[in-house]
Amino acid sequence: MRIAPTRVVRYVVLVLLLMFFLFPVYWMVITAFKTSDKWFTWPPTFIPWPFTLDSFLGRGEVYRTASLREVAPFLINSLGVSLITSALTIILATFTAYSISRFKTGGMRFLSWILSMRMLPPIAVGVPIYVIFYHFGILNTWLALILVYTVFTSSFGVWVLVSFFNDIPRELDESAYIDGCSPFQAFTKIILPISLPGIIAVFIISFTLCWGEFLLALLLTYDKAAQTIPVFIGRYITGFQIAWGPIAATGLVAMLPVTILTFIALRYLISGLTLGAVRG
Amino acid sequence: MIYISFFEYNLAAGGVQKFLGVQNYVKVLYDPIARGSVSFTVFITVMGVIIETLLGLLLALLVIGVKGERVMRLCFLIPMTIPMAVSGMIWRMLFNTTFGPINYFLSLFGISRISWMGDPFFAPLTILIVDIWQWTPFVFLILYAGLKSIPPVYIEAAMVDGADEWRLTRHIRLPMLRDLIMVVVLLRSIDLLKLFDSVYMITGGGPGTTTYTFSYLIYQVGFITGINLGYASALSVILLIAIMLLTTALIRILNVRRLLGG
Repeated sequence: MRIAPTRVVRYVVLVLLLMFFLFPVYWMVITAFKTSDKWFTWPPTFIPWPFTLDSFLGRGEVYRTASLREVAPFLINSLGVSLITSALTIILATFTAYSISRFKTGGMRFLSWILSMRMLPPIAVGVPIYVIFYHFGILNTWLALILVYTVFTSSFGVWVLVSFFNDIPRELDESAYIDGCSPFQAFTKIILPISLPGIIAVFIISFTLCWGEFLLALLLTYDKAAQTIPVFIGRYITGFQIAWGPIAATGLVAMLPVTILTFIALRYLISGLTLGAVRG
Repeated sequence: MIYISFFEYNLAAGGVQKFLGVQNYVKVLYDPIARGSVSFTVFITVMGVIIETLLGLLLALLVIGVKGERVMRLCFLIPMTIPMAVSGMIWRMLFNTTFGPINYFLSLFGISRISWMGDPFFAPLTILIVDIWQWTPFVFLILYAGLKSIPPVYIEAAMVDGADEWRLTRHIRLPMLRDLIMVVVLLRSIDLLKLFDSVYMITGGGPGTTTYTFSYLIYQVGFITGINLGYASALSVILLIAIMLLTTALIRILNVRRLLGG
């Protein structure tokens, strides 16, 4: 019975923190479903009743700005750029990581250098990249975003996969050699199938990163030919008048896919984010 | 290959400035906006790292072993998974002066409306709160995973020796987390030093230039107010050096050599 007070304190603190961390999400979700007369009220409306899908369908009278039809091109940009980048990432990262893991390619220097790429502040590379892409004439294209994103995503992809490959016993490679495989065959026939979960995780993580990236997309794109969803949201939010319902609906659409993906890849996300300092 | 070209280009940009003299670098010292942005960046980095680390650690210790651990774990992780642009949008609604729920909650305690994003005192706090909300879950996730990986034998042994919860934490859990806490602190410092998204989304650097972070300053100088790429590059180089120093420390701790198995 002596323990009871500390237990109570523990739960109270947890519940308070839970409210702090969840209330903003709750607020966005209900705002997305509120009817337009409930967006601006005092006291604020905490229960979205009656609820409506107007914000998603763009049926509001004044605020047509962020209906799904308007958002669609940006969603497609986000999806296209993220998918292609992630595909490139797994190709580059798997080969590089395997080579580092088994043949120590480049040694410490190379691996540290790859790590520093992950840490690079995007704004610092933003200026030179902007100038280069301007001369190549590829500003405001998918290609521009894909090129830059691949740099960032494949660097951490290598990190995740190096620790992943290190966990696969070397005896597997060796027995493949004995059976007459070349190093390349050993890689494709033995190692790749085993490391599929890790590779999928890298794909998901890099997808998430691209999806949420903001600064570089802001610098390198300027209209719906290539602009991604976060920039779209940013443009509306900094505008003069904000229609809360539609923008919250857009936010919800932009958030859901990555939130779900993150939970799926959580285990690997840990080693991706901490560069292998913790095994998930 | 693409990397190298960026890197050399960046250095080359530095070289071109030498051509103009080091004026751009000297200018940083005398530019009040740049100095303001440095102090704000340092403020947000120091405060953010301290609060997020402590809160994340507290959360990890509280959640482990509690009833409903799995559900709670997921709930606490949600903010981290939200794209920063979306979370900026959410908090802009919450902090809204006239209709925002936060001012409503405060009014229940008799506190009159606060202009969160327009007041030079509250605007930095706003940015800080949002960052704490978004990234404490990250710290929590890492430290929680760390706690989970402590072999139960240690805990059991200590309990046999009569250690209570407090002693378990103080003498076993914390020491075992030490390296991990260093990693978290460095990762958060590096990310906070380049903070941009939430400033852009929430305060736009305002009021005035109170919440300019270093990244936001570079963005303003380089892309918005008169495209001064020379000065922007000089600022970028400074940021780059600061981050490189932290990264070097990180590499030491991560023990890259171990990854190479030698």
